[in-house]
Amino acid sequence: MGVTILAQFPVENKTGPQIIEVLSKRICALGATPQGQFLVDCETFTSVPALGHQRTVHVLHNSEQPATVFALLETGTKTIPLVTDGLFDLLIMKMISFYQSKKHTKTESKGPRFEIGDFSVKLGTVNITSNFKGILVEVEYKPCVVPAMCWDLIMEFMQGFLGSSGPTAPPAFLQNRMQEIYSPIDTIQQYLEHFTIFRKSTGPTMVMRPQQP
Amino acid sequence: MDRDIEQLNSALNSVKILRSNVRRVFESVSNGLRADHGEEIKENRYILELQELLTTVNNNLRDVENSVANLTPPPGAFNLGNTTYLSQETTQDRQQLYGQLVNSYKWTDKIREYSALAGNILASNSFNKTYKTFGTTKRRKTQTSNHNVPPEIIENLITSIDRLFSDVTITASRPFVPNPVIQVALGRVLRAVIAFKGLMIEWVVVKALSEGSDVWTESRYKVFRKVTENCHAAMCHFHSPLMPDLAVRSFMHWFHSYITLFSAPCKRCSKHLHSNLPPTWRDLRSLEPYHEECK
Repeated sequence: MGVTILAQFPVENKTGPQIIEVLSKRICALGATPQGQFLVDCETFTSVPALGHQRTVHVLHNSEQPATVFALLETGTKTIPLVTDGLFDLLIMKMISFYQSKKHTKTESKGPRFEIGDFSVKLGTVNITSNFKGILVEVEYKPCVVPAMCWDLIMEFMQGFLGSSGPTAPPAFLQNRMQEIYSPIDTIQQYLEHFTIFRKSTGPTMVMRPQQP
Repeated sequence: MDRDIEQLNSALNSVKILRSNVRRVFESVSNGLRADHGEEIKENRYILELQELLTTVNNNLRDVENSVANLTPPPGAFNLGNTTYLSQETTQDRQQLYGQLVNSYKWTDKIREYSALAGNILASNSFNKTYKTFGTTKRRKTQTSNHNVPPEIIENLITSIDRLFSDVTITASRPFVPNPVIQVALGRVLRAVIAFKGLMIEWVVVKALSEGSDVWTESRYKVFRKVTENCHAAMCHFHSPLMPDLAVRSFMHWFHSYITLFSAPCKRCSKHLHSNLPPTWRDLRSLEPYHEECK
């Protein structure tokens, strides 16, 4: 498990499959080999009014950690992460009378997965209840565990195949965790951050990039 | 000229005597106690015999040194002189002489060359030390041998390295008593498993912090496999049989520069990546990071 950076790729009047194809071609031209598919999904539950102050639970799965279920509880003031095993899915089903599934919020990012050197690259198409929303590119540098040490290196790699749409600053979530040891829950937090942005937007998200001076 | 040859003969003779006497020593040592040492006090007799033989060898060695000191080294390469004309000899039975002459000339030339080399090597690795301290009361600094060192010395070396760098943590295990295997964690970057043979580094494997710590399996990450390869090169580069502790220290200094493995860009191309690897080479002197292809 290494440091993972998640970045949104601008859609610019193209369809999802078109962008995925362009990016797949680019990464393969750099010498990457396809390594199957991946899927990250997220379902959101809200507490019933009877429980008082409303809380939200996001339940996420990542195909990289197939035996694990991630849950993020938002209390309004802070977010409590929880890493559990597969049984948590059954538990949340039992709690249906306290936590109800939010309508039309099932979000997923899936697509091809590539390996290149010590990097693994995932090109995800984000769908919210099967409506196309945008593209998320995930890059993982596996040998390194501290984001601060390898951020420049990952940024260089991402700019290598995303061009100018590659990230120029660490993701907001990671910015105050740069010196800490990276763990799979940090990837999930980044996904949730992006999913929340997608949910608030309408239609395929147009990413506005700041104009270069 | 005659005097020279006489001296040379006597020197050769003394070498011959020395060799035969050294041989007697080894014979006696290999035979051990014999029947003619008698029944009682046979050990003492044997030791006396050995002492006698060693004294003879010592005297012979002195003779050799004296006779060699008397020799005058030949000023330069030998000149064949008039004998070169032998190649133009027409008489049948003398034609063979030239071939023999050339052969012996080649032979002496080679001897000259080899002895010059041997002279240089012996001069730089003088064994006079052992003689000078014979019988003196001055305490000699214990010469550190490479293979057979007391475990405490290695232990001291390891702890001193541990203290040298604040971001290096060393844990040692001793599967075979005098040869420890240490795990060196370099910050949060990587971990190396280093096997010692006495005071010398025998094997190095570099792995990710999350990977197992056995000496035999290599890392599953390309970058650490490359670093392992480079560590082997550095291990050979720093190896010094005469000062093994210095070799270990210099190696560790060099190895410590990998603390910036992921964060430092290549000194030449100022990029982080080249064929999807960070700069995996560290210059042996300046410790500057380079890509494999840029060094």
